[in-house]
Amino acid sequence: MTNRLIGYSASYPTLRVIICLKELGLPYELEPPASYQSLKNEDFIANKHPFGKMPVLFDGDFRITESRAICRYLASKYQGKHNDTILIPNDVHKAGLVDQFISYELSYYDPPLSKLVYQEKFAKKFFNKDPDPEVIKQAHEELAKVLDVYEKLLEGKEYLNGEYSLADLVLCPGTNYVYGAGHSDLWDNRPNVKNWWSRLCNRDANKKSFEEIKSFWENN
Amino acid sequence: MTIKLIGKSLSSPTVRVIICLKELGLPYELESPASLQSLKDEDYIANKHPFRKIPVLFDGDFRITESRPICRYLVSKYQDKHNDTILIPNDVHKAGLVDQFISYELSYYDPPISKLIHQEKFSKRLFNKDPDPEVIKQAREEFAKVLDVYEKLLERKEYLNGEYSLADIVHTYYVYGIVTHSDLWDNRPNVKNWWNRLCNRDVIKKSLEETKSFWENNENI
Repeated sequence: MTNRLIGYSASYPTLRVIICLKELGLPYELEPPASYQSLKNEDFIANKHPFGKMPVLFDGDFRITESRAICRYLASKYQGKHNDTILIPNDVHKAGLVDQFISYELSYYDPPLSKLVYQEKFAKKFFNKDPDPEVIKQAHEELAKVLDVYEKLLEGKEYLNGEYSLADLVLCPGTNYVYGAGHSDLWDNRPNVKNWWSRLCNRDANKKSFEEIKSFWENN
Repeated sequence: MTIKLIGKSLSSPTVRVIICLKELGLPYELESPASLQSLKDEDYIANKHPFRKIPVLFDGDFRITESRPICRYLVSKYQDKHNDTILIPNDVHKAGLVDQFISYELSYYDPPISKLIHQEKFSKRLFNKDPDPEVIKQAREEFAKVLDVYEKLLERKEYLNGEYSLADIVHTYYVYGIVTHSDLWDNRPNVKNWWNRLCNRDVIKKSLEETKSFWENNENI
C-alpha cells in the first residue's frame, strides 16, 4: 500500500518527509492541499492535522503528523526493508545520539534558518511582503554562531553521528533553500561544515529532491 | 552503575528527565552546575553541552543531551527492566503517535506557556525586568487556543495516546503556569480530568510538590 503524503513539496517540512521516503526506497503519492487557507478548514482539522499544519502522512489507514515524527515512524517501520539505508541505528546509544542531533536541529539550527527561508523565499512570493533586512541580518548572525558549534561537532566525522542518519537528513531541505538564497558563505566558510554539506548534496535522494524543488520555483 | 544527571531541579527540562527516571524506577544522582555562568565555560561546552544548556545525562561514559532525547533513550534502554511502566509502546504505530504528541508539545503547547512562565516567574527574578502585560495577554490567548485543540484530542481518552506514555510526561512540568492560569485547564473538562489524572500519579505528584515547595520557599531568589 502506497504512502499518501499531504503537503507542498515547496514547504520544507514536507520535503523533509519526501527525502526520507526516497532514502528508504518507499513509493508515495503527494497530495497538495487545495490552498494554504484550506488547512484551517474544519474538515482538515478534524481529519488531517488538529493544528492546521502540513505535512500529514497516511500509511493505509494510519495517520501521523509532524515531519520529524513521521520520519522516525517511517525509519522504524521500513528501514532495511527496501534497501540498506539505515537512518536510525539499532544500537540504543547510537540511536540516542541521532535523536540528540535531531533535537539540536530543532532547537538551535532551525529557528534562525526558518526565518531566512521565510524572508528569502516566501515573504514576497506568497505573502506580498518585502523581506526585512534587519530580520535577515540577525538570523544570519544567529545561524553563524550555530554553525560554529556544528563545525566542532563535525570534527573528525563525515556525518553528525559518524555515519549518515536521520540527524543529517532533517537539516537538508531548509539548508538547501538558504544556501541557494545568498547565504552560502555560512557553510562554505567552515571546512568541516562545507565538506559535510557537499557530501549531503551528493546523495541521490537529496539530488533528486533539490532538482524537483528547483523546477517548482522556476515554473512558479 | 548510577546515572548522573546534570541540571537544576527548578529547571523544567531537568524535571522532565527526573520524572522519566523515577517512572522507570532508575536511581540517579543530580549534580547542579556551579552557576548559570558556568554553562558558558569552555570546559562545559566541550564536555557537557555544546550549546551550553541543561540537562545533560551520563549513563556510565555515555553522554546524551536534550531532555526529550534523554527521555527516549532511557525508555528505549530501561523500560520494563525495573518495573512494568511502559512509556513508549512497542507497537510501531502507537510509538509513532506518542512521538507525534511529543512534537505537539514542543511545537504548539510549549511556546505560549513558556512565555507565561518566563514573564511571571523568571523575568523579574533573573533579568530584573517587569512582566509585560501585553505579552502575557497574547500568550494566554494563544495558549487557550492550544488547549481547545487538546480538549478535542482528549475526547474519550484518559491520556493523549489512550494509555499513559512519555507523551503525557513531557507536558507535566508546567506547574507554575498552571497554578496561575488554572482557569484555562478548569474550563475544559477533558483537559481538567487529564491533568488531575497526571497529578495523581505518585512520581508526578511528588515532583510537582517538590517544585511548588521550592518556589514557595524561595520567593526571593
